[in-house]
Amino acid sequence: MRRLTIILCMLAMTHIGGAHATSSVKTDELGVELVSQSSTLAPGATAWLGLHLKHAPHWHTYWINPGDSGLPMKLNWSLPPGFIADDIAWPAPKRFSVGELANFGYDGEVLLPVMLHVSPNAKPGTFVNIVVDARWLVCHEECIPGRATLTLDLPVATQAQVDQRWRVAFAAARGAQPQGEPLKASARVSGSSIEISLPHGELRDAARLDAFAVQGKVIANTPPAVTLRNSNIMLIFVKSDYFTSIPDALDLVIVRTRAPALRAHAVFAESGAISKPPH
Amino acid sequence: MRFYRSLLVAAFASIVFATQTFAAVTIGAPAPDFSLTDSNGRTQTLSQYKGKTIVLEWNNPGCPFVRKHYASGNIPAQQTAATAAGVVWLTINSSASGKQGDIDMAGAKAFVTQYHAAPSAYLFDRDGKVARLYAAKTTPHMFVIDGTGTLRYMGGIDSIASADQEDIAKATQYVPQALAELKSGKPVSVTTSQPYGCSVKYGP
Repeated sequence: MRRLTIILCMLAMTHIGGAHATSSVKTDELGVELVSQSSTLAPGATAWLGLHLKHAPHWHTYWINPGDSGLPMKLNWSLPPGFIADDIAWPAPKRFSVGELANFGYDGEVLLPVMLHVSPNAKPGTFVNIVVDARWLVCHEECIPGRATLTLDLPVATQAQVDQRWRVAFAAARGAQPQGEPLKASARVSGSSIEISLPHGELRDAARLDAFAVQGKVIANTPPAVTLRNSNIMLIFVKSDYFTSIPDALDLVIVRTRAPALRAHAVFAESGAISKPPH
Repeated sequence: MRFYRSLLVAAFASIVFATQTFAAVTIGAPAPDFSLTDSNGRTQTLSQYKGKTIVLEWNNPGCPFVRKHYASGNIPAQQTAATAAGVVWLTINSSASGKQGDIDMAGAKAFVTQYHAAPSAYLFDRDGKVARLYAAKTTPHMFVIDGTGTLRYMGGIDSIASADQEDIAKATQYVPQALAELKSGKPVSVTTSQPYGCSVKYGP
């Protein structure tokens, strides 16, 4: 079994798909496909690309903050001049608990969307060659790093056409995004806890809350205690073992049952609220 | 309101659970003592090395991140340099029985030989007691303790969280940096970093 694991690791480490152009790769643990919401690209417009991940049962990949272990998907794009790909628009994560350790990420089918800015100089009738070097870590109990170069050739047209094959997946990806403007929250360090105070309004009907910090080294990865204080909701986290200094702010994704996820931007009272004296 | 109260109870229960199982160690505080058996069947304690600088390295030979830092020669080189300078380097394997990285004494010796590794000792912690004592979360996960028994560094092996050997040269290697600073009497510049790697394979 150990030898099999090593062989699997070596297979996964090899550059899958490097030999010839391909838009998808598949291992026993994970299928990865580079997809586009549109079958054509319009000059000067934005378009959604995505990495469609299909996890084998019990396997998962990671959110931007992977939690106690793991690594997020890393993408390195090679695009024609004038084209720009944004960072992954991370869907709200799930919590995976392995004993005392917590990880944040995805299982099942998930689409990691990336916004593409199409060059205004793209000529209708030509093809755009999109190449991405993707690196990931997929884990069950054991972890396997993977890497693939995926490519997609898309025609430029005066108008973008929706590709029906991926319509549902992109719609689901939009629904999985934290919605709306970030809630304005305040944060403070209280002994070995970090307390985040959120306006009550948006959250009052929430069935169950969980919250995930985008940045590491501030809060531990255990779920927060949730309580009402005055007209605010308090999320009380254990301070991270790796906390070194009070940051200016902490960005959170708040996951609710049967309601879309939300964002919060929590400013630390000890740093952000102290205004600098005028010169 | 009753709903929030139940939420509160549930969430607090999980926090209490977390703090009971993981006793966090703190930079600047004494590193807790422990006693483990090494790959030669000898008992090794932290306190027997009082007066010496000690490195603790959490290890799992099956973990791709451990393999990254062994196959590249990074950890073996750090071990060789550290032990040559009088530092005690204790490699600790906390994989529970039957989990990935659960090797026996012969397996540990073969691992050390295979990678030309040079730890002072390779220790077994199958019940995860010492890993929990230090809140070790990943492999690798590193700790540096000075001659007075004070914890001076805890966290990742280096500054680039990845499984790729090619990133090692670009990364800051935190343990050699901390060891050099301690040796020259300087304050340790990076005392904590987020560890990265596989999860420690704790038992039930």
